[in-house]
Amino acid sequence: MESKMNFSDILASTLHDTKNSLGVLFNNLEDIIARCHDKNCAEHVEFYHLQYEIKRLNHSLIRLLSLYKAEKSQLTINIDYHSIRDVLEEAVVQHDMLLKSRGIKLTTRCDPELFGVFDLNLIMGVLDNIINNSFRYAKENVEISAFKENGYLVMRVEDDGTGYPAAMLFNKDTIPEFNREIDFETGNTGLGLYFSFMVAAMHKNKEKSGFISITNDEKSGGGVFSIYLP
Amino acid sequence: MSAESQKTAVNLKMKIVLVVDDFFNFRLTMKNMLRSFAINYIDDASTGEEAIRKLSVRKYDIILCDYNLGPGKSGQQVLEEAKFREYINYSSIFIMVTAENTREMIMGAAEYEPDDYLMKPFAKEVLEKKIKNIIEKKENFKEIDKSLINHDYSQAITLCEALMEKSPRNLSELMKLKGEILIKKGSYQEASEFYNKVLVMGDVVWAELGTGKANFMLGKYEEAKNIFENVITKNDKIMSAYDYLAKIMIKLNNPKDAQQILMKATSISPKAILRQKNLGNIAYSNEDYSVAESSFKSAVEQGKNSCFKSPSDYTSLAKTLVQRDASEEGLDILNDAIKAFPNNSDARLHVSVTESYVYTKMNKTEEAVKSMAEAQKLAKEFEGPISTEIMLDLAKAHIIMGDEDKGTEIIKNIVRGNHDNDEMLDNVRLVFKETGMAAKGENIISVAREEIIKLNDEGVNLAQEGKLAEAIAYFEKAAAQLPDNKIINANAAQVLMIYMKQNGKNEQQLINAKIYLDRVRKIDETYVDIPLLLSLYRELVPEVNDGK
Repeated sequence: MESKMNFSDILASTLHDTKNSLGVLFNNLEDIIARCHDKNCAEHVEFYHLQYEIKRLNHSLIRLLSLYKAEKSQLTINIDYHSIRDVLEEAVVQHDMLLKSRGIKLTTRCDPELFGVFDLNLIMGVLDNIINNSFRYAKENVEISAFKENGYLVMRVEDDGTGYPAAMLFNKDTIPEFNREIDFETGNTGLGLYFSFMVAAMHKNKEKSGFISITNDEKSGGGVFSIYLP
Repeated sequence: MSAESQKTAVNLKMKIVLVVDDFFNFRLTMKNMLRSFAINYIDDASTGEEAIRKLSVRKYDIILCDYNLGPGKSGQQVLEEAKFREYINYSSIFIMVTAENTREMIMGAAEYEPDDYLMKPFAKEVLEKKIKNIIEKKENFKEIDKSLINHDYSQAITLCEALMEKSPRNLSELMKLKGEILIKKGSYQEASEFYNKVLVMGDVVWAELGTGKANFMLGKYEEAKNIFENVITKNDKIMSAYDYLAKIMIKLNNPKDAQQILMKATSISPKAILRQKNLGNIAYSNEDYSVAESSFKSAVEQGKNSCFKSPSDYTSLAKTLVQRDASEEGLDILNDAIKAFPNNSDARLHVSVTESYVYTKMNKTEEAVKSMAEAQKLAKEFEGPISTEIMLDLAKAHIIMGDEDKGTEIIKNIVRGNHDNDEMLDNVRLVFKETGMAAKGENIISVAREEIIKLNDEGVNLAQEGKLAEAIAYFEKAAAQLPDNKIINANAAQVLMIYMKQNGKNEQQLINAKIYLDRVRKIDETYVDIPLLLSLYRELVPEVNDGK
């Protein structure tokens, strides 16, 4: 038996532990919210905020674990056929209550016949991350849409906030390669984007690879995140 | 499917639910969530064992089971046992709750799959949606399931295609099912083409496994080998790819490689009792007793929590320990077997047979004779057919105790029943080798084989001469004497069907043909003539109600 332990392994096992604790915390809070809901108490909304923070932490940990696995070449992609409308609906179920608590409306738009071939867990991780962020940045509306474009399946999350800061814009027309320094100033460590970038690139079909784009809407100025899958 | 129907259709109120988790806290949360869906009847269990006890006395509609339940049975073992013992059926919903993404860990490794996975933590809305989706899916799949129960494969495929046409919902499940039905139906070429079409959109792993399987069934071992190796290169945790690779290596007469492949598989995923047994058997015949010992030991250990345990795990270990000069330990293991399988005549018979072998090897003649007498008594009282495995062990025990005639007589019968089953013949050869009569044994095998080949040829000649009625009588008699012989039964089915094709259907003959056909499929589901036989049968029985 190997007795030496690698620091990154220790980190990973601590992450698992932390994630489990968060799970317990999240569920306890579910209980409290449920009871609170029954009694119509005022703290209701604050609890949702707590839950939001827990979710954020949880997503960060999932991403870290995925990146750790990727580093160790253990992150494998498990692609399958999925109904896009079901995927979007699932995202709504995940986030609707939380966004509603801040008065944000979450809508979806896609052809019900649309399907795609991708790793559901990884793509869900990407969408969760972006939608969860809109909790902070959106004013009233978040829309998740999906469609086909130039042979790619595009999944897009748009909000009506003030948009991404110029330093974060990331367009398919420029360099499709993640080379940004981690920027602690903006409050976004770049980890989420790096994860999205990596997940997109892991999706390959024939000669084509997936990619992401981060832009602001020309008219409204709101943030537009898109992931393109071949 | 429209959005409205989704909201109205499903009512959870009357559902009976079981929550399985080792954490009190989590059980409580789950129960609160379920109550908020107006579900009244909720039971819980904190261990896999408790879950099985509860499942055995009440029929649950929904089971939410944690994957990691601490020591004892795992969530996967609860699922396996519940399905194996038919505590849950097609309409029950089993959701596996996992701490993180364990799906890939379990994927392809499991004999049975849950309806869905749910990653902790989750909000109640997610749980509710998941349950409702599964209920809806089962409703949608109901007709397909009915056709499958009736063995009406063409109808099942038509229904699958109709659902795919309707909406992309459950597309993956429907395609997976269609592929499996094509394989079941014996349409291996069509299955292979179908899977290849699925793969145009990307490397979907179940479709890759599907093409591998179809090629294997078609006897294209090299192609199948490449496919499975490629799957493993991309993801070394797809355990079923190893199982197929090992099977292919055996077919290609390369048991050493088969062993290496399974050793790699068990090092990645040691918790798989059937694979451990398989590895143990292959290592034993490769005379790698140290590997055989550790595999059988872990099979015995895992059997304590598994419905796949069997007395042969213990007897195989005991035999291996003899080879490892640890006969005393072998006797202890046989004692454990009796404790692990109380009131089980199969276990007692197998243990007595093995005991006489172990004692003989220890030069304890008196005890050996006693055990053998016990074994013969048990065999006489035994209800139903005794497995070939036990019979072979019995033959071996006879031979090493000096009763060569009795031993070889049993072996001759085994060879007659399995004259073209290379794997079984290799097992027989192994027994002859171990008992120091390899050359003589080879002669016995070839005499018994030739006897059956000649018997079969005579029947085939009758058929070829157009004496079909005589051929039928001939093969039916032979099949009655050799119910385990694949070729004889296949030919019995075939002559009956050809006769009916020429002379019209006859109810009794149809029933008999089906019996022989079923025997062949049971003996070897990969037999190359199965598609031919099935298509002959389909011509006679247009695919409705043939399952009855």
